[in-house]
Amino acid sequence: MNVWAFGVVFSAIAQWFVIVVRGRPAAPLTDFHVAFVRYTTNVGAYFALTANPFPGFLGEQGYPLDVEIDVAEQHGRLSAAFRLILAVPALLALTILDGQGAVATYVPVGGVVFFAAFLGWFACLALGRMPLGLRNLTAYGLRYAAEVYAYVLLVTATYPTTDPTLPASAGPTPEHPIILEVTDDRRRSRLTTFFRLFLTVPHMVWLLLWGIAVVFVVVGQWLFALATGRPAAPLRRLLAAYIRYQTHVGAFLFMVANPFPGFTGRPGYPIDVHVAPAERQSRWVTLFRLFLGVPAFILNGALNALLVAAGIGGWFAALAIGRMPEGLRNAGAHALRYNAQVNAYATLVTDRYPFSGPPTLEPIETPWADPLPAPVDATA
Amino acid sequence: MRRPEHLVVALVLIVGAALGAWALWPTKVPDLRLPALDERAVFDPEQLREAQQFERFLHWNSLASMVAVLIVLGLYAWRGHRLARESAAGRIGTGMLLGMLGLGILWITQIPFGLVELWWARRHGAADDVGYLEWLLSYWLSLSGEFAFICLALVIVMGFAQVLRGRWWVAGAPTFVALYVLFSYTLPWLIPDDRPMRDPALVAAAREYAREQGTEPIPVRIEEVSAYTDSPNAFAAGMDSSRKIFIWDTLLDGRFADDEVRMVLAHEIAHHSREHIWKGVGWYALFAVPGTFLIALATRRRGSLREAQAVPVALFAFVALSMAAQPIVNVVGRRMESEADWVALETTEDPDAARDLFVHFTEFALADPSPPSWASALFDTHPTMLDRIRMAEAWRARSEGRSHP
Repeated sequence: MNVWAFGVVFSAIAQWFVIVVRGRPAAPLTDFHVAFVRYTTNVGAYFALTANPFPGFLGEQGYPLDVEIDVAEQHGRLSAAFRLILAVPALLALTILDGQGAVATYVPVGGVVFFAAFLGWFACLALGRMPLGLRNLTAYGLRYAAEVYAYVLLVTATYPTTDPTLPASAGPTPEHPIILEVTDDRRRSRLTTFFRLFLTVPHMVWLLLWGIAVVFVVVGQWLFALATGRPAAPLRRLLAAYIRYQTHVGAFLFMVANPFPGFTGRPGYPIDVHVAPAERQSRWVTLFRLFLGVPAFILNGALNALLVAAGIGGWFAALAIGRMPEGLRNAGAHALRYNAQVNAYATLVTDRYPFSGPPTLEPIETPWADPLPAPVDATA
Repeated sequence: MRRPEHLVVALVLIVGAALGAWALWPTKVPDLRLPALDERAVFDPEQLREAQQFERFLHWNSLASMVAVLIVLGLYAWRGHRLARESAAGRIGTGMLLGMLGLGILWITQIPFGLVELWWARRHGAADDVGYLEWLLSYWLSLSGEFAFICLALVIVMGFAQVLRGRWWVAGAPTFVALYVLFSYTLPWLIPDDRPMRDPALVAAAREYAREQGTEPIPVRIEEVSAYTDSPNAFAAGMDSSRKIFIWDTLLDGRFADDEVRMVLAHEIAHHSREHIWKGVGWYALFAVPGTFLIALATRRRGSLREAQAVPVALFAFVALSMAAQPIVNVVGRRMESEADWVALETTEDPDAARDLFVHFTEFALADPSPPSWASALFDTHPTMLDRIRMAEAWRARSEGRSHP
């Protein structure tokens, strides 16, 4: 890898000169860079347990986690000249997603991919399989890393997108009792964007007060579920409303949605949580719920960092253009969805384990009778 | 409410306010004829010129800021209700959003004036330790407290308006007065970075002055502010069992003599012994009741404060009424401060210390000792330094008269 990287530094500088002068890349250098991006992705997938076989050393095609790169024949000279500066936001996002990200995604030491791989290692040892959610999550991070490298190395002129719904090749999203509905149109009011942090102050106060009550309710619910094998319906409704409210506030604070949310967690917000009807819950799972949730809590922390990063990036973008970039919006929505599933698991709203993988483009069916309009946009 | 009902209510409020003011107005200050005093004889002429120039600019800057605020809030009252479309919350939540956005717009409006003021202060060496970015950051952070405050106020007002509609002020005004009492009572515990005063001589003096003024001993605390400012200050806070006196550590940094600090102590103790905090509650109530009534009247056309769309109008009415009431509030404040000065003179019997103290205050705070009357009416919560020195001289003359009949 270091040999590759050493060569790429010089070839990238050479490519940069070629493009700034001619407007077109030198084909051999492009091929070299494509192979490098493919190789780093393969090695990253092997380290992160996204794929199993030992990868080759030359970036050949055919690895179980492979990249398709749409090579640009032409580059804007200006864009190429300032490529490193333009790439700064993407490199920062990469750091959140892949830990060391910009420098070495193939040795993830932090970020979402690292934590997913760390948890996946235990799962693989125990089960002999990588859980689908973790596999898809690491694949998402590696795909983004590949896009960033391809952009920085002038292989492509397309800006990397943090959209976790792309590509849809990761397989269908399994059904889950907690789903996120996104009806947001990405328009953002510049005025509310500018004051977004402080506009959330009353919600933070209310969330804190509500949260104190929720602690007692969860203890009561836990005892009830242990005794009867089912959660108490009134408490479950309250907890579901709390999770919805928490998601609304998170969506508002981190720019995933535009309107100022209400204080009661009523459905109808552009980023909304749908909760399936209650089912019986295993008493064993209930008994050890907090311990079982630890891996999800760890991953949730990493995804919350992604949410914050998407919020900060989105704040600047929304102030400038009055819209939230789709990639950042969907990355934030993905983190919120997982957050809602983790909270629903922790508060005994459901005993289904949170699914960490990013949802795909395939429409999410609502398998239960829902009094609300069916989800119209399942892109998050 | 219909028009005749409004008139009756207004009449009752005017009579009530007049009676309340009549009860709160008297002080212990006798009918004094303040002696004429040439400020150039008291202050260094060069320093005086600089202080006058310094404050004149600040006064005009503040006046311009007030005008800008009124214009911007007027526009917000006219068009601000359209921002309700940015809310998915109910009436009260949307009202909170509109209230916060109104304050946010106000905040943006005041940034240039604040920066100009800081520039001017730095130019005159009055704010050397404060950088522009530091100021902006602290100004930005102060927004969170303001947002929280306006949300609380709107929850109360709009909550009552859901039930009482246009008559929300009948319950709202007493609630605000109760909150004012609560805040006044708890304020001493909210002051950060304070410690007890340990100087035995000053502690003994505070105890002695309290006894002379006929009140229980009051704890004196030192507030650590020297990291942010070198301006001297002190204040009385709390009521009944929470009564305390706070002295900034900048007052004890050696620039003021002990007798001057003792004069400050006597002054602050007088605020407590003369029940100025409770009287402040009374005056607040006198303004809060008609004020909330007028805000309720102003918001009628937008459906009263039951509707979120009325919040921008209410905000404008509140700020406009506050500005209109400011000269009266300042008169009340100056009257209490005069009484505290007088009681302090009666307690310490040291007009020289008072004179030195006020001269030093003028010097260190770069304050104009005799600002124009319009500026004094609009901005001064304390008597002018020249008037305070004149009072000390009046006390001396009166004391000498008592000694030599």
